Amino acid sequence: MTTKQKVIKINKSVKFLLLFTLLFGINNLLSAEGGPCKDYGDCDKFKYSLNDMESLQSGASTFLNYCYGCHSLQYSRWGRIAKDLQIPEDIFFENLVFDKSIKAGDLMTGAMPKDESAQWFGVAPPDLTLVSRVRGDDWLYSYLRTYYEDSSKQYGVNNLVYPGTAMPNVLAALQGNQKLICKNIPIIAKNGGEKRDSEGNALTKEKCGFLQVEEGTGSLNKEDFDKVIYDLTNFLVYVGEPSKASRERIGWYVIFYFLIFTALSALLYREYHKDYH
Amino acid sequence: MNGVVGKMFGWFNNRLPVANTFERHLSKHPVPSKVNFWYLFGALAAVVLIIQIISGIWLIMPYSNTEEQAFSSIEYIMRDVDYGWVIRYIHTTGASMFFAVVYLHMFRGLLYGSYQKPKELVWVFGCAIYLAMMAEGFLGYVLPYGQMSYWGAQVIISLFGAIPYIGESLEIWVRGDYYISGITVSRFFALHVVALPLVLIALVFLHLIALHEVGAGNPEGVDIEKYLDEDGVPLDSVPFFPYKVLNALVGIGVFMTVFAIIMFFFPEGGGYFIEMANFEEANPLVTPEHIAPVWYYSPYYAMLRAVPDKLGGLIIMGSAVAILFVVPWLDNSKAASIRYKGVYSKVALALFGISFLTLGYLGTVGVTEVRKTMSIICTFIYFAFFILMPIYTKFEKTKKVPERL
Amino acid sequence: MQEKDNTRRKVLIGLTSAVGLSGLPFVATPFIAAWNPSARAKAAGASVTIDVSKMQYGQQIQVAWRKQPVFVIRQTKESLAGLKKTLPKLSDPNSEAIDEPYRGLNLTRSKSSEYSVIAGVCTHLGCSPKYHPEVEPKPWDASWSGGFFCPCHGSMFDMVGRVFKGVPAPTNLPVPPHFFNGSILTIGEDGGVA
Repeated sequence: MTTKQKVIKINKSVKFLLLFTLLFGINNLLSAEGGPCKDYGDCDKFKYSLNDMESLQSGASTFLNYCYGCHSLQYSRWGRIAKDLQIPEDIFFENLVFDKSIKAGDLMTGAMPKDESAQWFGVAPPDLTLVSRVRGDDWLYSYLRTYYEDSSKQYGVNNLVYPGTAMPNVLAALQGNQKLICKNIPIIAKNGGEKRDSEGNALTKEKCGFLQVEEGTGSLNKEDFDKVIYDLTNFLVYVGEPSKASRERIGWYVIFYFLIFTALSALLYREYHKDYH
Repeated sequence: MNGVVGKMFGWFNNRLPVANTFERHLSKHPVPSKVNFWYLFGALAAVVLIIQIISGIWLIMPYSNTEEQAFSSIEYIMRDVDYGWVIRYIHTTGASMFFAVVYLHMFRGLLYGSYQKPKELVWVFGCAIYLAMMAEGFLGYVLPYGQMSYWGAQVIISLFGAIPYIGESLEIWVRGDYYISGITVSRFFALHVVALPLVLIALVFLHLIALHEVGAGNPEGVDIEKYLDEDGVPLDSVPFFPYKVLNALVGIGVFMTVFAIIMFFFPEGGGYFIEMANFEEANPLVTPEHIAPVWYYSPYYAMLRAVPDKLGGLIIMGSAVAILFVVPWLDNSKAASIRYKGVYSKVALALFGISFLTLGYLGTVGVTEVRKTMSIICTFIYFAFFILMPIYTKFEKTKKVPERL
Repeated sequence: MQEKDNTRRKVLIGLTSAVGLSGLPFVATPFIAAWNPSARAKAAGASVTIDVSKMQYGQQIQVAWRKQPVFVIRQTKESLAGLKKTLPKLSDPNSEAIDEPYRGLNLTRSKSSEYSVIAGVCTHLGCSPKYHPEVEPKPWDASWSGGFFCPCHGSMFDMVGRVFKGVPAPTNLPVPPHFFNGSILTIGEDGGVA
């Protein structure tokens, strides 16, 4: 290939790319879709840490104490959770399993009959084994923290991420009463700075939809409550795919293996390539 | 070879053309001495086919093809079966990788004219493989019986309803029920694991036999059969073993690295390889908010949505695949490779590539007015590329194709 | 020069093949491991419990553990005393050929002095032997003093599952792990409580 040809080729790929970005750019500009977190806007980012046993154990404890009364984990087995979360089986069954007839190999099919609970809540509380995979980690982490008081609803609460949710805010005692409030916020000018009046005072406008917890109503402060939800979400990510941690661990070895294999076969190929080139 | 082994081999060889076949199709089979990475995807497709067959056999064992158990048996594989998750992710990743390499393989064909005389049949068998793969992929996606399995199948089977007169009864006949039920899953399972793999393997066999009859192409579009040495072997060729094998080995190494990265770190492929809604069991009463096909069908899905008519959409989608079969008879160019074709061909192929990718993107996102317009334009370009091919390849100026590689 | 080239080739071929082949066992691992009993099978094969206080003396019941028959026999004084009589007929009276979990604890071979717990699968080819506690001449043994007889290939065992000489079964019927908690028998777990 001559230099000229190469230049032409590069030119062509640049054009290709430009056209492509243009097409996508137009498309994205004209199609502002609502995100999965609905009224909340962008979901809060969640980064799982499946090797943090303390977090997973605390999440499991929160789940079994607050959620398992209504929600099952029907594809998951008790003993597997104890083993994966490195909780000694006797301690696990002593402290976290409330039904003493349960054996380690049993599925976590729930503590509540489905049709009964459907009568109570209007819908049967869904099984949560795969909730982190259906909804995504970010959604879960946001959803559990965005309940607010709304007297028009059956349980007096509503949710920004899942408006009209059928689930009451089970963790309200920890979080406290969260309300939607309005705030005066600075107006942002087109150049990105705050707008000011002629005397240099910042101009503000009222905006609503902010979440605020009534002080002193919850047993945990915001950081501690967020941590509880982090651990709970982390646990649900684990339950969604219990082999995820080992998958990512094994993955590195496999990739390393194939890189070595590729390097060696490339050397061998080059060696033989000399025969005819 | 001597001794007992040699004698035994001789006995077999006199009754079965072992050595001859091996030399003709493997060890001594001549391949062009100068090809580029585009020529690796055929071998890679064969590798994925083998991966899919083996992992598929292992998935059949714990899978349960009933309405009640299909979904939970997938979770059973993912949790309760030792290393079941490895086997399942091999198969799901393999499905996407199969289409990825086959799309690149097909694009190579368009790029270097791998369908031109005398390779027409190789191309036609290849298109048939692609068609069989699409059916195979669709049937396989129904088996986990998640929400996407159900509603994806619902949409595709409803397409049969567009056929005049027999449509509706055909729909029910395919499902064997009034909705996609256990019996549908069960028959799709039989087709997915036995019938279509047999068809695929037969077609791959034909594809290879036809290829070996006419010889592999090269990026220059040079006919290497013109200049032979005294043994009748093309001068610009090397034997398959070890040269092509080593070349393929490098490709396989790179490919498997990519495979492993996806399989171990992004098995859901951001929701494009395994869709999030498919982690929810099929519910015939609730449609998910956003139905998108897996990425490898999305270009055709975008075409379907671009047409505001049920039967019309089906016809467009069908023709988009069908038109691939006749490409060998649409190209009037004297040059095979894009390197020596004229500017019209280059522009046409570039536009085609862009519109196909754009359609692919559009098929995965929700519909808006702008997107619909874009889908129509891209569908138009897709078909124009083929329909106008006889004209632009005839009237453009081609460069002279060299005699030797 | 040529020579040197060939060495490099040989080394590279050796290395590449070695790396390639060393991957095979790892690739095979998931496919082999997938055939192990799954967590579901293991859960279904977990221990079973049964109250044995209602059993009559001399009665034998079958308990399914891992979907396999386990015989529980409430031995009478006579049948335990009679064990001595059959001793000369036995091929391995002390169960030396098998892994005997509770050797020398009780005549019953179990953790209890009264109940025998025996895997009810013939060590020959896997049929389930029949219980014949009667001390009377039988078609298969004129001096039968009670025990198990396998209808498939004629193997004979005494009242606690020890194999006779000259029959096709090679070893005694094994004793599965078990423990008693009062009259509650748990099969499939050792429990640690004698």
